[in-house]
Amino acid sequence: TMDKFRMIFQFLQSNQESFMNGICGIMALASAQMYSAFDFNCPCLPGYNAAYSAGILLAPPLVLFLLGLVMNNNVSMLAEEWKRPPGRRAKDPAVLRYMFCSMAQRALIAPVVWVAVTLLDGKCFLCAFCTAVPVTALGNGSLAPGLPAPELARLLARVPCPEIYDGDWLLAREVAVRYLRCISQALGWSFVLLTTLLAFVVRSVRPCFTQAAFLKSKYWSHYIDIERKLFDETCTEHAKAFAKVCIQQFFEAMNHDLELGHTHGTLATAPASAAAPIPPDGAEEEREKLRGITDQGTMNRLLTSWHKCKPPLQLGREEPPLMGNGWAGGGPRPPRKEVATYFSKV
Amino acid sequence: MDKFRMFFQHFQSSSESVMNGICLLLAVVTVKLYSSFDFNCPCLAHYNALYGLGLLLAPPLTLFLCGLLANRQSVVMVEEWRRPAGHRRKDPGIIRYMCSSVLQRALAAPLVWILLALLDGKCFVCAFSNSVDPEKFLDFANMTPSQVQLFLAKVPCKEDELVRNSPARKAVSRYLRCLSQAIGWSVTLLLIIAAFLARCLRPCFDQTVFLQRRYWSNYVDLEQKLFDETCCEHARDFAHRCVLHFFASMQSELQARGLRWDNAGKSPEPPAVPEPPEVLDSGSGKAHLRAISSREQVDRLLSTWYSSKPPLDLAASPGLCGGGLSHRAPTFALGTRLSQHTDV
Repeated sequence: TMDKFRMIFQFLQSNQESFMNGICGIMALASAQMYSAFDFNCPCLPGYNAAYSAGILLAPPLVLFLLGLVMNNNVSMLAEEWKRPPGRRAKDPAVLRYMFCSMAQRALIAPVVWVAVTLLDGKCFLCAFCTAVPVTALGNGSLAPGLPAPELARLLARVPCPEIYDGDWLLAREVAVRYLRCISQALGWSFVLLTTLLAFVVRSVRPCFTQAAFLKSKYWSHYIDIERKLFDETCTEHAKAFAKVCIQQFFEAMNHDLELGHTHGTLATAPASAAAPIPPDGAEEEREKLRGITDQGTMNRLLTSWHKCKPPLQLGREEPPLMGNGWAGGGPRPPRKEVATYFSKV
Repeated sequence: MDKFRMFFQHFQSSSESVMNGICLLLAVVTVKLYSSFDFNCPCLAHYNALYGLGLLLAPPLTLFLCGLLANRQSVVMVEEWRRPAGHRRKDPGIIRYMCSSVLQRALAAPLVWILLALLDGKCFVCAFSNSVDPEKFLDFANMTPSQVQLFLAKVPCKEDELVRNSPARKAVSRYLRCLSQAIGWSVTLLLIIAAFLARCLRPCFDQTVFLQRRYWSNYVDLEQKLFDETCCEHARDFAHRCVLHFFASMQSELQARGLRWDNAGKSPEPPAVPEPPEVLDSGSGKAHLRAISSREQVDRLLSTWYSSKPPLDLAASPGLCGGGLSHRAPTFALGTRLSQHTDV
């Protein structure tokens, strides 16, 4: 079964977009499942009904929205990109906006599902508005004016609770329930229709406007994400190599000390005696991985500089300049991989 | 797991089959949605028609929009429609073809909902119970018109005390359900006949144009997907090299300091690590980056991709697609002239 999970994850992660969509879908399903598992319990008291229902309708969506943002790794990436000093790399507000929009859109799906399911189910609406039912139209209208308002409210507040409802002489309970549920379902479907229409308009109309800017923002936000991951991987690799070399030096120094017969075990800094022992076979490879950064101060300086002063998006002046190499006039298309092999066949 | 993977691969093999897969998925979701929805007719005079018709029409509209949203090709179509012509002519026939294929697939889920609702009958009974002619049924002879209207409004609600166990209610309900199912089956039959005729008779008209349009609409979709993937690859390589550059620049800064401080003239670190540029310029890395290695170059590439797509001609004149392509044309000249072959 672990193999199956791994394959599913690999499939989802093959494409960053499909991974994010997968997470959205899972959260939407979780939201619907949560609602069905939740045991709605209307208080059936005049003042408390509205508060309880409003709470159930609004608090879980907020929680789900925040949860959606939290579970999205890109939030910390957005915050980092927003707050970093410009250094040698300018900040592009369009990229930040794109990242924020795409995260917010995905985080909004679960709350929308919760609100839609709540309205379509009808219990919440019934609980909230049972005191506002038009008794004169639905029930025995002639009896209603005779009742004082608090008494009427107390009576109607019990509509959602069948076992304690005692107002059948005034208004049949089923009639009120049907009426309120019908309105709730109509509202629910309208809400779903409006949200879908909005999403559709946003999605379809966007290519008519800022398509070029959109392509750029998409590319650079993906780039920032990948760069961060690769930096973390490189640092991990470095840390491993650092640790290995450190431990090897420690053992060598210990060995050296023992050979020289030092009893007080000053396994001091190795550099002076580093030349003496012959390093074992794998050590050269590990030292290469260190890329010349071999002490804590330098590593700290590197990490600080990564945050304070990111390198420019310009790989090395030794690369051929922009206009050379056949790219006359800003050539429209990079040669594909297959073409690169054609080159090599000549 | 292998079967699962093969299933997915089959569906992703062409954009058409991906769309068919999505369409099927949406239809299944519709069936599930309908069966789990709790129908609740209000059984009140004016609300019945609104509720019944609303439930017959609003969910299909939502499902239609969802079908358009879930289909990636609708976005590709709008992009193709709105892009500047650049080096590549726009063919309105292709856009029309894409539009019609997107619409056809998006219509599947709404039709499933409408047919289910009609065959089930509850919506129809709720919406039209007040419009039934009471003269058809003998039981209403001795009721006043307002009583009749009240009774008819409650027909959809079996458990209501006014109409419980009433043969008149059952009669009206049966009548309306029968009508609803008849309409449902007629619509199904008509749709299937229409689809069948459309499918069979299409080869009689303009088959070559149809084939061309299908090919190019598939091409546009695949090209967009491949461009996105290539950009992703490029971003990965760019990021990799950027990070390595950063480490290397830190190292060279250290070495520079070391050379200044170290009086003995020997750098503390044996030069086991080669100079950064050589390490990074391994052959495959460079080919991946395709000579695009700065922000301005990437921005320019992306703008040009949008504003001026390259011509559909792989044996194009030199200067547009890089130096070595002009005298190498192993494939057909993929202009709109499908019949012309170019020998190598």
